[in-house]
Amino acid sequence: MPYWGADDAVAELRRALSNRHAQADRLRYRNVLLRVIRRMTQGVDVSGVFMEMVKASATGDIVQKKLVYLYMCTYASRQPDLALLAINTLCKDCSDPNPMVRGLALRSMCSLRMPGIQEYIQQPVLNGLRDKASYVRRVAVLGCAKMQKLQGDTEVDGVLVNELYSLLRDQDPIVVVNCLRALEEILRREGGVVINKPIAHHLLKRMSDLDQWGQSEVLAFLLRYKPRSEEELFNILSLLDGSLKSSSPSVVMAATKLFLVLAKDFPQVQTDVLVRVKGPLLAACTSESRELCFAALCHVRQILGSLPGHFSSHYKKFFCSYSEPHYIKCQKMEVLCELVNDENVQQVLEELKSYCTDVSAELAQGAIFAIGSIARTYTEQCVGILTALLGLKQEHITSAVVQAFRDLVWLCPQCTEAVCQALPSCEEAMQDSEGKQALIWLLGVHGERVPNAPYVLEDFVEHVRSETFPAVKMELLTALVRLFMFRPAECQDILGRLLYYCIEEETDMVVRDRGLFYYRLLQAGVEEAKRVLCSPKSDPSLGLLEDQAERPVNKWASEFNTLVPVYGKACWAVVTANWAMEPRCGGFPCAAPMTAGTGSPTFS
Amino acid sequence: MIGGLFIYNHKGEVLISRVYRDDIGRNAVDAFRVNVIHARQQVRSPVTNIARTSFFHVKRSNIWLAAVTKQNVNAAMVFEFLYKMCDVMTAYFGKISEENIKNNFVLIYELLDEILDFGYPQNSETGALKTFITQQGIKSQTKEEQSQITSQVTGQIGWRREGIKYRRNELFLDVLESVNLLMSPQGQVLSAHVSGRVVMKSYLSGMPECKFGMNDKIVIEKQGKGTADETGKSGKQSIAIDDCTFHQCVRLSKFDSERSISFIPPDGEFELMRYRTTKDIILPFRVIPLVREVGRTKLEVKVVIKSNFKPSLLAQKIEVRQNPMWFCALE
Repeated sequence: MPYWGADDAVAELRRALSNRHAQADRLRYRNVLLRVIRRMTQGVDVSGVFMEMVKASATGDIVQKKLVYLYMCTYASRQPDLALLAINTLCKDCSDPNPMVRGLALRSMCSLRMPGIQEYIQQPVLNGLRDKASYVRRVAVLGCAKMQKLQGDTEVDGVLVNELYSLLRDQDPIVVVNCLRALEEILRREGGVVINKPIAHHLLKRMSDLDQWGQSEVLAFLLRYKPRSEEELFNILSLLDGSLKSSSPSVVMAATKLFLVLAKDFPQVQTDVLVRVKGPLLAACTSESRELCFAALCHVRQILGSLPGHFSSHYKKFFCSYSEPHYIKCQKMEVLCELVNDENVQQVLEELKSYCTDVSAELAQGAIFAIGSIARTYTEQCVGILTALLGLKQEHITSAVVQAFRDLVWLCPQCTEAVCQALPSCEEAMQDSEGKQALIWLLGVHGERVPNAPYVLEDFVEHVRSETFPAVKMELLTALVRLFMFRPAECQDILGRLLYYCIEEETDMVVRDRGLFYYRLLQAGVEEAKRVLCSPKSDPSLGLLEDQAERPVNKWASEFNTLVPVYGKACWAVVTANWAMEPRCGGFPCAAPMTAGTGSPTFS
Repeated sequence: MIGGLFIYNHKGEVLISRVYRDDIGRNAVDAFRVNVIHARQQVRSPVTNIARTSFFHVKRSNIWLAAVTKQNVNAAMVFEFLYKMCDVMTAYFGKISEENIKNNFVLIYELLDEILDFGYPQNSETGALKTFITQQGIKSQTKEEQSQITSQVTGQIGWRREGIKYRRNELFLDVLESVNLLMSPQGQVLSAHVSGRVVMKSYLSGMPECKFGMNDKIVIEKQGKGTADETGKSGKQSIAIDDCTFHQCVRLSKFDSERSISFIPPDGEFELMRYRTTKDIILPFRVIPLVREVGRTKLEVKVVIKSNFKPSLLAQKIEVRQNPMWFCALE
């Protein structure tokens, strides 16, 4: 969004900053700095006042320093020569007696992105690693990672890496975790930080000192460690036992993942872990914070893929409450579908039935499709419920029910009779393409059992000229031709009119081609057409054997607690498809997309 | 980890923007606004993916907080971090609203600097942060204050600093419980659970060790092995707690072995434990709904609420909230 008057804003700010009176009054000066930052946040380019900001950094007030450094970190790449002037102050601050100032200066210096900064920051960072205040050490460690990013593809400094490895034994827990993170980034090309036996055991000992973020990350790093013996493996598992019941859901998830991956050769242990984590997961699914609830539900669905009966007895926890947002209700419905069993099917169906009349059309349709998928195992009850829903004569409900029927008839031919009896009641004007297609398909394939099928289809043919969806027209053609095979007398006239329209008047080429195809087929003779179109079907009493193979836990264990269950596998594949091709961000200004508005990737 | 953190108001204007890593561009700010805040349909999910970048967001009243990342991160951790961010901000200036954010602009930037370095969460304990980031700005500190702060920021006990002194040592305990009930339309109780929090306000000097006990079922069973049946007779009421989680300061090892909660409390107000019970719940109210259809255009709903408390107890400010009625589109 173009900001008019950007130049005026900059000029005004420059005047305000250079004002002698403002400089004398600390609070007033700070307000001016605030205005600069505010403009920066809004997207105005205020890099013009860099000079004045550099002068402002020479102050004893820490808050003022922070504001100036924040500004400089954002704009240093635009004005590298001026930024060099600030380096002096920054270097001086790195030796300030106050550890807070030292830490702040070090952090800001490492975040300045400009060519040639490496030579200035190398020494302060190395000093910082040995600083006696742990606050400074924390900043210095991450500073190493930032430094490495600036250097891009150059060789990794072995001395630095060794120093970081030795800092893993630091007494401050946050320094330890920062070391792991920094090493991971620096050694990215070599596969990240190496967790060998002494390091792994050291980390396990320090787990109790770490805060929730640290524990989460260490548990993720421990995934790399391969215990040498079964005894060691079980020792580790018992040491980390407490993390499964931690108060922080992210630690619980990280611990679960670690256990599942470590115990990949012991399916018993894996099942045991999943049983023990049931409680915390259920607690997360019913927590007040919706986002955590959502993340937990995604993971529950993943577990149900392998252990369908796992949460069956707790099905009530997955009933939707009125005020929940849409995305949680959708997830809960899918979970309910998967945990249905003989004992709870009645209750679950009752509950889903009440969602079918929800105000939100999407939710109602979702509930109907859920009942449709449960119908594959519990056909009679579900068909009964769905037929009853037709009686409501609500457009979106009818449409969803008919679609559910279509899918069901395909998989469970034994319910065809019941479905066909219900069909005559849903001819009323359905507006959406999906519903119409489903209805027409059903009438075409099972039309001989539905007495007024030809007349319903005739209705559609009458209005084919005003039909907007080509898919519906295609379906109509196919269905009529099929029905014609079984009830020629009734359908001949209608079919003729439809074919005439499709060939002579239809503008969509696909539909026209299909019409031509059927016309020529019929020209070859009815017997010939029948042979082509009505090939023998399989015995309806056999039903369909669906691939119900449960996915073994090991298939998804490594994706637990990442974004994969949240997005769903298909979506994630799309997201990561181009990751490998993206150039590594070297960090030099011409390549860095951080500069406002230049060369950033386009967002769809 | 987290590449950037943005805070917007309800109109989609950026209030705070902080980018931590190179791979997030300025466009990310606008992308979120266009695709999520101003999206025409209902917000689909708290995690959105736009151009291979993941946007996690949390909404507090009218304010949107968004965390952006391009890496494959742990969703639960990002959300927990956003909640922690909100908690810290609330601890400093109360309700999270546009006005409060605009007034405490500097403070929030300082906090963002401190809590997230290079996108990785650092020390986020409110108590520790409050000692060196104050709303009045940092006054020049004496040497002792400096060493005190650094020792707390880096000390073994991160949640309490040494040398706290009060004239009167006081301790307040609040137990806040909420009963959640799910009922079928016929009035049958489908599921009920109680979720409770024990909140403690401690104004104690030094580094006091406190012990906290509950009449947990397991304790009573341990005391009298084999007399589990007699608990009813002896009149001791025991409760079965399904699961409980504690504040970081509680020593869990002692809890497992002796079922005693011992801890050194942080100064001020904090949540000691959170627990959930699903058995033996005595519901405070009975809700009896009666729905009657009068003709095709009228619906009569009668809801009777009976209290299960003793008649001698009086209550004030009881609020009964009913979700607004909706009607299916009738022909």
